[in-house]
Amino acid sequence: MHRAAKFAKRSLRRFWRGLREWCGDAAYERYLHARGRQDGEQRTLSAEEFYVEQINRRYSRPNRCC
Amino acid sequence: MKRALKFIFWLGVAIAGAGALGAIALHRGEPLNATWFVVAAVCCYMVAYRFYSAFIAARLLALDDTRATPAEIHDDGRDFVPTNKWVLFGHHFAAIAGPGPLIGPTLAAQFGYLPGTLWLIAGAALAGCVQDFIILFCSIRRDGKTLGQMAREEVSARGGLIAQLAVLAIMVILLAVVALVVVNALKSSPWATFTLAMTIPIALLLGVYLRFVRPGRVLEASLFGVALVLFAVVAGQWVAVSPSWSRAFTFGGVSLVFVIIAYGFAAAVLPVWLLLAPRDYLSAFIKTGAIFSLAAGILLVRPQMMMPPLTRFIDGTGPVFAGKIFPFCFITIACGAISGFHSLISSGTTPKMILRESHSRLIGYGAMLLESFVGVMAMVAACAMPPGVYFAINSPSSIVGSTAESVAATISGWGYHLDAQTMTNLAHSVGEQTLLNRAGGAPSLAVGMAQIFSNTIGGERLLSIWYHFAIMFEALFILTVLDAGTRVGRFMVQELGGRVWKPLGRTGWMPGILLSSAIIVGTWGYFLYQGVVDPLGGINSLWPLFGIANQLLATVALVVATSILLKMKRLRWIWVTLVPTAWLVAVTMTASYQKIFAPNPDLGFLSKANSLAAQIAAGQIPVAKIAETQRLIFNQRLDAVVTATLALMILVLLVEAVAQWYSILSRRREPVLHEAPYVATQWAPGFTGVAHGDD
Repeated sequence: MHRAAKFAKRSLRRFWRGLREWCGDAAYERYLHARGRQDGEQRTLSAEEFYVEQINRRYSRPNRCC
Repeated sequence: MKRALKFIFWLGVAIAGAGALGAIALHRGEPLNATWFVVAAVCCYMVAYRFYSAFIAARLLALDDTRATPAEIHDDGRDFVPTNKWVLFGHHFAAIAGPGPLIGPTLAAQFGYLPGTLWLIAGAALAGCVQDFIILFCSIRRDGKTLGQMAREEVSARGGLIAQLAVLAIMVILLAVVALVVVNALKSSPWATFTLAMTIPIALLLGVYLRFVRPGRVLEASLFGVALVLFAVVAGQWVAVSPSWSRAFTFGGVSLVFVIIAYGFAAAVLPVWLLLAPRDYLSAFIKTGAIFSLAAGILLVRPQMMMPPLTRFIDGTGPVFAGKIFPFCFITIACGAISGFHSLISSGTTPKMILRESHSRLIGYGAMLLESFVGVMAMVAACAMPPGVYFAINSPSSIVGSTAESVAATISGWGYHLDAQTMTNLAHSVGEQTLLNRAGGAPSLAVGMAQIFSNTIGGERLLSIWYHFAIMFEALFILTVLDAGTRVGRFMVQELGGRVWKPLGRTGWMPGILLSSAIIVGTWGYFLYQGVVDPLGGINSLWPLFGIANQLLATVALVVATSILLKMKRLRWIWVTLVPTAWLVAVTMTASYQKIFAPNPDLGFLSKANSLAAQIAAGQIPVAKIAETQRLIFNQRLDAVVTATLALMILVLLVEAVAQWYSILSRRREPVLHEAPYVATQWAPGFTGVAHGDD
């Protein structure tokens, strides 16, 4: 029973994480993670700046199909 | 023992698939159950994925997981983001699944369920999935380069320009035809128009929330937005019964054209965060939910197929669109089996996010199989309604008349029984004034979906709600394609125009933005207007034109893939891309030729123009209608020129590619591959990308 509950909890957590990744909810966290591994002079963007910059780039090339 | 069990399992799957396909192909008499379609499709997909895609991965492409992908090399958290393969599968599927696989099969149902279903399954397994998979692989090996860049480098500079022009052409025709589908779904329907109109303020609200209140919190904002949209679907019925509100939301076809053109222009010019992006989030959630609900509904309800396997219209005299099975069934199905547009996604965002080369098999090949399954479900939904009802909804008034009585008499005369009261009752039960002459596929698909949904939840009582939910779902994501496509088209016009006049190429220059947006909106808007005023309903001209453009782009992608495989010295397996290329060339060239030169005025653009001109000359057109008829003549000739230009572009590319293949095979030229250099991966073999998550 305990193992089943643990399994269900782990599966739910995976699903939640996958859903956040899929819809773009976790994009800023990913960006911060990537920034942390890079060394450079570039300023880290705020959440708002990152959001606007990201969607501007995404919608300037084909990203939805027929 | 394990090996024997595996063998027995796959033998069982293959036999079940073959048996179900046999039942679909050979069954006559009593209506067939939709379960056969699901079994046939799923078993064929399983076999194709397990064996054919594995063969391509191992023998043809030799996928190498020791090689670092662009996502690992350039990991910047923006464009290049290593992503878990299932998450990326979801991203890729959401990007490739548009209105095409829903509308194409619905229109192709005029031939009966058999030809369309067979092509959806076989075409996807042998052509569409192959194209998506190989182009994705090629782009991964080239640092995520686009199809145009690969065509320029691997075929010729002219090939790159042709690919770019083909993309722009397909974009314009695509936007016009999907907008026409929306117009035909919304005209004279205050409920549907209100629901769709409400998605604009809802998207604006979400846009402000996502920008200023909780930046980037897409999930919570989208769930809130979806709840509001669902409320708008329900509230639409109150609008429909209120005389004043109903009047405010009732539009004719031409008025809707101008509303949609204004919307497209606004979406291309306004900041992305305000309207376009939040609308896309809403659409992605509703699209995914509706597609999975439709699959579940079909499995639960298991409807009977009322449409015969083959109709009398295989002879090319169909009322929905003219033309015989070959080539028009393949041109009409388009995206459900193979879509050139997918090659833009496979060489766009996806290759920059893929974690391992081996994931391209699931994402490239697997996602297209799922899209094909969406097409099979649309075919089931369309064929589950009586053929008389299907033809009454999808036939233009110039062929079947515009009153319930005349429609019923004409369609019954074709051998598909329909009484006038059936259509009146059906329209009443879905909350519409009429369902007649709604060419475009969306209303008939919505009726099919609503019947499946209402048999699952709510019964007859909820039929009208389900119908308008289905219309909202189709129109919402069609408009998302429209606004995103218009914006991308604007960038393409700026890029191409910038070569002629430098300032136009500056993406931040407002006059350039306004001018290029006006050019792209004006171009698709013209085709849209032409479709709405066309007496044959517009779909008859525009959908085949879109299908031809789309399949020609697929030809470009397969030609690029073949060139790359030849340079990789995979001559032995070159038939994997060469056979679908040859098939597509045969289909698109035949369709182009027939659309331009066929002597039947319902099919050939030029013969239609000539027949109208002859009617004017013979004094058969009333004086008041002469100007309108001359416009129709011009439109037919314009469509002929567009079709000829598209076909010519592909012929030029083919000639260049064949010359290159010949020089490689005859060793006159040393093949030069433009792959990025090999970099060994630094990730452990079991790394799945979850370490980049938020846990």
